[in-house]
Amino acid sequence: MLRKLTLSLFILSLLLGTSIVSIGQDDGMITFEITQEMIDASPYLQSVIPRLNEDYDTSAFAKDPPYRIALAAQGTSNAWSALFDAHAYWYVEELGEEVISELLYGDAQASADIQVPQVEDLLAQEPDALILVPMGAAALSAPVERAMMQGVPVVLCASAVETDNFVTEVGTNLYSIGATLAQWLIDTVGADGNFLMMTGIPGTSTSDIMEEGALAVFETHGIELLDKQPGFWSPAEGKKIMETWLAQHGDEIDGIWSGGAQMVQGMISAYEDAEMAIPPIAGGEMQNGFLRSAIEHGFEFYAWMYPNAMITICIDAAIQILQGEPTPRFIDFVDTMPEARPFTDAEAEDYYRPRWSDDVHGPVTMPDEKLAELGFLVEEE
Amino acid sequence: MRKFIADYGVYLALLALLIAATVLTPKLYDVNTIAVVMRQASQLGIVAIGQTMILLVAGLDLSIGGIFLMTSIVVADVTNGRDEMVIPAILIALALGALVGLGNGVLVTKRRVPPFVATLGMLVLVKGATQAYTRGVPGGFVPEVLGLVNQSWFVLSIPLALWLGLNAFFIFVLRRTSYGRKVYAVGSNSEAARLSGISVDAIRISVYVLGSCLAVVSGVVLTGYVGYVDRFIGTGLELDSIAAAIVGGTAFVGGRGGLLGTIAGVLMIQILSTMAILMGLDIQVQFIIKGLVILGAVTLYSLASIEE
Repeated sequence: MLRKLTLSLFILSLLLGTSIVSIGQDDGMITFEITQEMIDASPYLQSVIPRLNEDYDTSAFAKDPPYRIALAAQGTSNAWSALFDAHAYWYVEELGEEVISELLYGDAQASADIQVPQVEDLLAQEPDALILVPMGAAALSAPVERAMMQGVPVVLCASAVETDNFVTEVGTNLYSIGATLAQWLIDTVGADGNFLMMTGIPGTSTSDIMEEGALAVFETHGIELLDKQPGFWSPAEGKKIMETWLAQHGDEIDGIWSGGAQMVQGMISAYEDAEMAIPPIAGGEMQNGFLRSAIEHGFEFYAWMYPNAMITICIDAAIQILQGEPTPRFIDFVDTMPEARPFTDAEAEDYYRPRWSDDVHGPVTMPDEKLAELGFLVEEE
Repeated sequence: MRKFIADYGVYLALLALLIAATVLTPKLYDVNTIAVVMRQASQLGIVAIGQTMILLVAGLDLSIGGIFLMTSIVVADVTNGRDEMVIPAILIALALGALVGLGNGVLVTKRRVPPFVATLGMLVLVKGATQAYTRGVPGGFVPEVLGLVNQSWFVLSIPLALWLGLNAFFIFVLRRTSYGRKVYAVGSNSEAARLSGISVDAIRISVYVLGSCLAVVSGVVLTGYVGYVDRFIGTGLELDSIAAAIVGGTAFVGGRGGLLGTIAGVLMIQILSTMAILMGLDIQVQFIIKGLVILGAVTLYSLASIEE
């Protein structure tokens, strides 16, 4: 069994000056070095590292419940965000009206252009706190600053902004995730392997930060990639690029780094059409469609998790702030949700859920009835 | 000379690109790469047939992105993975696609809404309707039989055969039938066409319906290709199809151009994309090259039309 990604080791290593990050497994450790050069080159690390040991004094925001909380979400754009919203509504219902009297909701349709004015609209309703899933790091910085100036504490959920003027960020260290995926590939294949890299959408912080971490590790090992292309988190794009790569490099490909499981589905399909054996892939997720294909085709993979259920942690953080309790400035969901840890193909069967539809991203903390209501449960035969 | 370039420029450019590829990316000439290029070009090519015909009547269709998504959802939802339900699913998607095309055509002809606005509005409407239907979560499974679109025999594949077949049929329609002549007449001068007894509105509406139905066909091919209901399926193909037609010599103002040029335009866009990946170019560079090719083509054609 794998153990959770230990960000605490990351902090400890930095404090001790050893600059080694370790991700624990019972059957071995994935380790990579975070050098001062890497930190200097990464605005993300420069922002996250100081916040790892920092608490925000929230006494100025303290008030009695019930609270009115604004949620500026990614919105109705894909299954990940649909489940994110469902978790939010379910959790607010669980907490009861005596804790949260109203959840003001904004649907950004995955667009920063839509989200910016939407945040203004939400703030005009004078919520007690704002939970924001930023659709663009630069675009949402000013609205975050305005919210804080207005006295509305901001919880960033699942993504970051460029300003440091917010109360807390809930997520995980994406740089480490990208780096870990690259390190696993090197450990599995060897540093003399031929690797390809498929990133998400260029310009989005989640994709860029993961890419940054991975490239730093590849560079440390002196690895020159065969190619790097963006797959736009789309199975279709992933497949198109993989087809061309297969035509170009064929069985020279020893391993692939992917910034998302959707693109891996496209890669698998391209390999299937070409009737070639799938090499080790770093970048799966607990997404049921990916797991179904991976089990069916039986290849080596390393997967990470970015649970939509992290919204429940974001809501808890907002409540903590409104109760005036000191709040960590960076909350890694893995610390609260230990099941959201990386895993490999050896555990694929444990994470695959036959009753979930292909597009469900786990782990899911809602009861099955809620999933069924949303059409995410396949009828039992 | 300019006239010659306007008439044959795209074929010369395609030839030049193919010659450049022998030096820059010889891998392009591997059978496997050619099969990949042709299969991917077919997805764009099928929808570009409809877009070309719409451009010929001085129209434009931005709603096809919504039709791709709708088709994908209908196929997965109606079949839920059952092969025997593929035909009914395609028929339902075609009926819905025709309805969208009819809506576009009626808005453009009867309500005099500019094509850009009408089809953009329709795109938003169709995407909104699909989201309302799926609650943002496309479900269902793509039937295995649609996976046949991924098979290649040498360089031939089902999408390529479909693309070539549809091209042959519509080239015949445009060149050899009175309907085809009316399409050109409406695009060249709609008032003159009306005075000569052509039902201009009916021709325009029929072309929009055809364009939408071809988008459904392309959507089915794409769905089989991906094997998964993807919310972003076919993103960008609406603009690429316009680009392919324009690069191929079809005039934005209607009445001039044709499908042979569009075939060359589609091949140019697809070969450029494949070459960019083979050369390991960054995505930004790929966009710049694509933009330069489109701008170059438009400049050439506009120079030629000034000379005329």
